[in-house]
Amino acid sequence: MVNSLKNKAQMKIQQMAFMIVAVLIFFVLVGLAFLGWQLISVKDNFNSLQKEQAIASIRTISDMPEFNCDSRRSLCVDEDKLIVMANSSYSGFWNVASISAYKILEKKSYLVYDSKQKDKKEFSTYVLICKKITSNYEKCDLGKLSVGVVNV
Amino acid sequence: MVGFVLIVAIVLIALMVFLVISIRNRTEFKQSDDVENFVNVLMMHTTGCAIVYEPDYDSVQDLIKSCYNNKKCINLNKMACDYLNESLNLIMEKVMETDASVSAYELNIVHENDEERSYIIHPILRGNCSGSVYGGQQVISVDSGKITVIAKFCYN
Repeated sequence: MVNSLKNKAQMKIQQMAFMIVAVLIFFVLVGLAFLGWQLISVKDNFNSLQKEQAIASIRTISDMPEFNCDSRRSLCVDEDKLIVMANSSYSGFWNVASISAYKILEKKSYLVYDSKQKDKKEFSTYVLICKKITSNYEKCDLGKLSVGVVNV
Repeated sequence: MVGFVLIVAIVLIALMVFLVISIRNRTEFKQSDDVENFVNVLMMHTTGCAIVYEPDYDSVQDLIKSCYNNKKCINLNKMACDYLNESLNLIMEKVMETDASVSAYELNIVHENDEERSYIIHPILRGNCSGSVYGGQQVISVDSGKITVIAKFCYN
């Protein structure tokens, strides 16, 4: 009688221990799944933050007097200034690895500066590329301004 | 055994509640500086349509207003809406050609006021989206409400 009770109690203890391990494993799996999901969103956030910072830098460059159409318009690049800058030796002036512009509809590109660094990442955003045709007519085209930054 | 099943059930219910809340909070598209810039720049792009005289060509923003007011491009002998549709289709195609990361796009131009909401031109869309959707918009004020231009890009 005592032996039978002892066996039953041992069985119960074993069952309990098994349950605790099973519950623990279950929570660990749920935790791992949650952590994996969080890591993916952290990586996404990092990428979009990096791109946003690069776009802010491009905006700063496009608003420089060396490029911009006029001080009233942001993200507007003067095509004549691009041509002049592409043919000048301003290499030490820019704090980036490369600068280039591209007119989307005309498929025309301007390479302003390229340090020829191999390990660089290019970021770009949409800008307006304008050209004064006559004193009262300016033609503006959809374009892209790309800036290369050195990968760290 | 009953305890284990109970715990699993509670955790599953909690996960489902969490999933429903996160799906509800998810908007149609994520705001993006890049797409926002695209819409802003697109509005200032010079078109080939002159409503009054040449070379007083409309920008895309002016062309949308001209289309809304049912005007005609005198230099092209075309309705502003037809030319707007043609131009935007071409621009969006070229944008997709130049940006390999864009797998699909959608451009909507909608007029809204207190009573109704209607499309100025048919939505311009192309491609199948399998990645994340980023968008941007710009509002143009007109005498009878507002016109909203919404661009959505799907990035892989």
